[in-house]
Amino acid sequence: MNAIEVRNLSKSFGDVKAVDNISFSVKKGEFFGLLGPNGAGKTTTINMLTGLLEKDSGEISILGKNPDEDWEYVKNRMNVSTAYFPISDVLTVRQALNVYSRIFGVKDCKRKISELLLKFELTHLQNRRIILLSSGERTRVAIAKGLLNDPEVLFLDECTVGLDPDIAEKTRTLMREYQKETGSTIFFTSHYMFEVEMLCGRIGFMMNGKLVKVDTSQNLKKIIRKTNVEMVVKEGKAGLLRDFLLEEDVDVMFMEDNRVAFEVASSGDRIYKLMNKIFARGFKLSDLHIKRPTLDDIFITLARRK
Amino acid sequence: MKLHRVFGLLLKHYYTTTNKADRLFDMFYWPAIDLFVWGFASVYISQISDYNLLSMILGGIILWIFVWRGSQDIAVYMLEDFWSKNLYHLFSSPVKLSEHLLSVILFAFFRSIISGVAMGVLAYIMYSFNILSIPIAVAGISVFLLSLFGWIMGLFVAGLILRYGQRIQVLGWSTVWVVQPFSCVFYPLSALPAWAKSIAVWLPTTYVFENMRAALAGSAVDYGVYFLSFLVSLALLGVMLIFVYRSFLRARKTGLLARGD
Repeated sequence: MNAIEVRNLSKSFGDVKAVDNISFSVKKGEFFGLLGPNGAGKTTTINMLTGLLEKDSGEISILGKNPDEDWEYVKNRMNVSTAYFPISDVLTVRQALNVYSRIFGVKDCKRKISELLLKFELTHLQNRRIILLSSGERTRVAIAKGLLNDPEVLFLDECTVGLDPDIAEKTRTLMREYQKETGSTIFFTSHYMFEVEMLCGRIGFMMNGKLVKVDTSQNLKKIIRKTNVEMVVKEGKAGLLRDFLLEEDVDVMFMEDNRVAFEVASSGDRIYKLMNKIFARGFKLSDLHIKRPTLDDIFITLARRK
Repeated sequence: MKLHRVFGLLLKHYYTTTNKADRLFDMFYWPAIDLFVWGFASVYISQISDYNLLSMILGGIILWIFVWRGSQDIAVYMLEDFWSKNLYHLFSSPVKLSEHLLSVILFAFFRSIISGVAMGVLAYIMYSFNILSIPIAVAGISVFLLSLFGWIMGLFVAGLILRYGQRIQVLGWSTVWVVQPFSCVFYPLSALPAWAKSIAVWLPTTYVFENMRAALAGSAVDYGVYFLSFLVSLALLGVMLIFVYRSFLRARKTGLLARGD
């Protein structure tokens, strides 16, 4: 069963189509990432999925239920964390978590809160007002709140924004562990392509309200058919290498001193065969850099195509 | 409606009150200032004339707290969720609008009871005025009807806030005072000019204060108008609940609920 099912979902604000007829599904237990530039429609999509925003048209199903009809069933089994809205400016960390644990009807909420405080390294901050925390600490509170009810579906909207690298890494690890332990579905949006690639099984790209692509990161990388290779050639043979590459029908990007850069097809074993031939010809290298396409490249390519 | 969610929301209001000086201040400071100013003025008037206004004025001040707190607290605790961008978290959780409204109404009532009792004690200490000199039935019915009217006013402002957001937040503090001059809190209905009287006769609060003065003067209390006031209040409450609900749906449609601005 799909945990999230979206069909022909649309939302406009005046003349602006924030979300334009998108459809996708997220399997139960999947870590799904939604990428897109600012204003692409990611947050509008999450807001509709979490019931904060009314859709104009389309259908949403979460855990097999229509949230408009079975909101209590759905909302008791989901949660949302965002870096953009602190839980409260006025409450302390423990107070805020206490309030939401009551709202979600968490059993043994004292123990649960203490566990989460420990997990997110917030124990020493538990009696501090949220407004006095750093943005990274606030985000950790928001994620802790997101896990209070052990949600089956967790929405994480840009939740690692503003975190220190070590805490961000720890958060990613916790998310991954949580997902593995509980088999929960995580719907994740981020600006950081590497973490989406690292965490998410499948990724959706949004542009101007449209979902332009949904696939695994491996398949998405096939959109860019070329791999960039840059090498530094010994013994002043850069010119010879360039001539050899041209014979092999390779696009040479530039040659400068001993440095040669070229593009080669990413698919199949083309790159390995070419490298073998280069070594067989007796070229010696002092440096080699192979740059596989990243999600950033795909993102830029898709944005340009658009 | 689930009680554990209402309890969670009540807990949130309680923490907000104890953590924020503003919310403690408005429970005691302004009513106390009213009590001092009007109390001293009444004492002075009774010294220079035969009129003893003190009990009428103090009774009016203490009972008005129930309208004031009811109205302002519903609006302000709704605004608190806007200020702290908490609507996003609240309404993506299983919290229903009805649970949120019930929690602010209950909390406003608790606060008005505390405020009313504190002012009652202060009035006794300062002016030897015993609020219990109002018959218990009259006091009880008055507190109930005035609170009900306060909630109606508060729901009206809450509905406006859900429609227009924080830019109209000033209404949270000011709206209730529009009805005070017409509610005959400190003077009888007969004291009003004709145009004001035509407004006052439609307000349930007018009859509550008229009866309070009658009770303090030892005259007969007209219980029939209480019933009429209750019916009018009930109808207004129904209208306001529909208004708030429609405003909430509109906030979901426009995105105000998600943005909280």
